[in-house]
Amino acid sequence: MLEVREVDVAVSGRRILTNINMDIKSRELHVVIGPNGSGKTSLLNAIMGLKPYEVIKGSITFEGSNITLEPPYVKAKRGIVVAYQLPPTIKGLTTGRFVEELMKRFKVEGSYAEVLSEILEVKDLFTRYLFDKMSGGEKKRLETFLTLLTKPKIALLDEPDSGVDIESLNKMSEALKVVLNRGTSIVLVTHSPHMLKLLREHITVVHVLYGGTIMYSGLYDEVIPYIEKYGFSGALSQFVRV
Amino acid sequence: MDREALLKALSKPSPYGPDVELSRFNLGPAERERIEEKEVNRISSRLGFGKDLLRKADYLQVNESILSRSMREKLAERGAVVLPTSEALKKLDWVKEYSWRLVRPDTDKYTAAASLYSNELGFFIYVPPGTKIKDPIYTCLFITRRGYAQLLHNIVIVDDGAELNLITGCGVPDQPIGSLHVGISEYYVGRKSKLTYTMIHAWAPDMVVRPRTVVRVGEGGEYVSYYVIYSPVESLQTYPKVYLGENARATLNSIVVGESRGVYDVGSAIVLEGRDSAGEILSRNLGRGSSLIYARSRIEGRAGPSRGHIECLGLIDDDNATIESLPEISSSNPEAILTHEAAIGKISEDLINYLLSKGFSEEEARTAIIKGFLNIEEPKLPQQIREVIKRTIEYIASRATG
Ligand SMILES: Nc1ncnc2c1ncn2[C@@H]1O[C@H](COP(=O)(O)OP(=O)(O)OP(=O)(O)O)[C@@H](O)[C@H]1O
Ligand SMILES: [Mg+2]
Repeated sequence: MLEVREVDVAVSGRRILTNINMDIKSRELHVVIGPNGSGKTSLLNAIMGLKPYEVIKGSITFEGSNITLEPPYVKAKRGIVVAYQLPPTIKGLTTGRFVEELMKRFKVEGSYAEVLSEILEVKDLFTRYLFDKMSGGEKKRLETFLTLLTKPKIALLDEPDSGVDIESLNKMSEALKVVLNRGTSIVLVTHSPHMLKLLREHITVVHVLYGGTIMYSGLYDEVIPYIEKYGFSGALSQFVRV
Repeated sequence: MDREALLKALSKPSPYGPDVELSRFNLGPAERERIEEKEVNRISSRLGFGKDLLRKADYLQVNESILSRSMREKLAERGAVVLPTSEALKKLDWVKEYSWRLVRPDTDKYTAAASLYSNELGFFIYVPPGTKIKDPIYTCLFITRRGYAQLLHNIVIVDDGAELNLITGCGVPDQPIGSLHVGISEYYVGRKSKLTYTMIHAWAPDMVVRPRTVVRVGEGGEYVSYYVIYSPVESLQTYPKVYLGENARATLNSIVVGESRGVYDVGSAIVLEGRDSAGEILSRNLGRGSSLIYARSRIEGRAGPSRGHIECLGLIDDDNATIESLPEISSSNPEAILTHEAAIGKISEDLINYLLSKGFSEEEARTAIIKGFLNIEEPKLPQQIREVIKRTIEYIASRATG
């Protein structure tokens, strides 16, 4: 479905991602882990086509079309949507109003919205301005909700779980399972071992991003235990051996 | 005030806004004219008031002709009065006590001109004690004549314990007209009474507009105003001032959308004269074209305890537009707590990007952000007025941006 081939990404001329390859099929859950600054956010934003991330080499194809240079809203219409790591406050725009707008744009059934909003417990936020004065956890739940609400074919989720309490983590993983079952594919960037355990059964592959490139891709059991034990740099030398 | 002094004041410039020669405009009485209903409806739709204004407006004046003054029976039964000011001054002896009391006729050349030549045209509204008029009263002041000076004197009295929602629309057809609009407004809000005042302006690129408004709010009274200007103009300058008595409240909201080469000098001032009074000024300024916006605001704390807050935000939507924000707070009482915040910026790329990531095109993202920016949450506004404002904001935001 989505193929990333030999992609390099630059920000204002400086290369921050090198030779990225990913092949994501329907209903798959790809996990991207890596230390701070390794390029996880850049990767998702470059796939989405957001400024200032510029694909300077390679190609991205989706359902057979080359979408490398397509603007984000066209990609969104195709069904690729990114959830922000740190969504910005939009004063004057109420969340409820924005939800209605998304539902109209993406022809979302009320029942689907209902299920998602129940799981992620976001109803109480609808009267507030978008992300205005919300707690860290509220922002994460809301941004995940808004992203999944668009019924994406591929949801690119940038740390939906950071700063989220255990109970909300359970909710978050439940929501992800719901959309996986509906046929959505997910690229999940996370630092949370707990979240990974919750989703373990569903994880197709774990990509380890290090210094702007995918150093290793493998099954959960091939990757996570080593990283937990040796840390990123230590684990990477282990992977070379296995 | 003697005529000599007023004639002298005719050459007195205002301290604010570009100075304009009054000789550009025809101040004298005009010949009779026919006013087309079609034209009235054109202005009406620009203001978002819809069709059929002749029947809907409680007071409709076009140039000098009063076309409609349909005192609704229901209002009359309750003792409310809507009249041309000239007629009110003739019929009701006590009205002169309220005429030219808040605004001095020799303030500047515009007030002097209105005092000398307006013939007291304009609207007079009186709401008797305890009478609460929920349905808004519509007053409309239109200009269709070229090179003309429309000089008006409006008086509104909301007596003790009464309530009034007043919506005023001022405008011209969407074409060059080269006229002057001066409206003198003196509003009295009684003890424990409430006036909600919405004013919408739609002008033309060669219009000169100089409203002069002063409001006095009595003990425990409340004044909420909402001003919207979203059309080109040559220059518009206004600096309404509200005096608050003991325990009185005021919220002054203004939305200024600057366009083409217009100069928009729009202020709001509140004087906290009574103990426990509180005032708030909220202004949103959107700079487009090569417009120049001066967003002035001033709160004076003369009594304490009292509270005042200014929030003045500017959004520059075109490289050639300029916004100058001038918030002032001044206190002569240690128990007056006055604060202000002001910020000017362009539409944040971060916000645009966020909306792009959720399927909005760049154009749609800008529109949504501008709509949010202009959307001043004013819970005190009645529902019907909110609808009018919502439509206006939709209209502003939907027009070609950036
Ligand atoms: N908009 C930008 N402008 C300039 N440099 C950027 C920008 N975004 C990312 N970078 C740089 O690219 C590199 C990768 O950053 P990125 O945000 O993708 O890391 P990350 O893996 O998401 O980190 P974290 O775990 O902290 O979220 C960093 O060196 C960062 O400074
Ligand atoms: Mg990141």
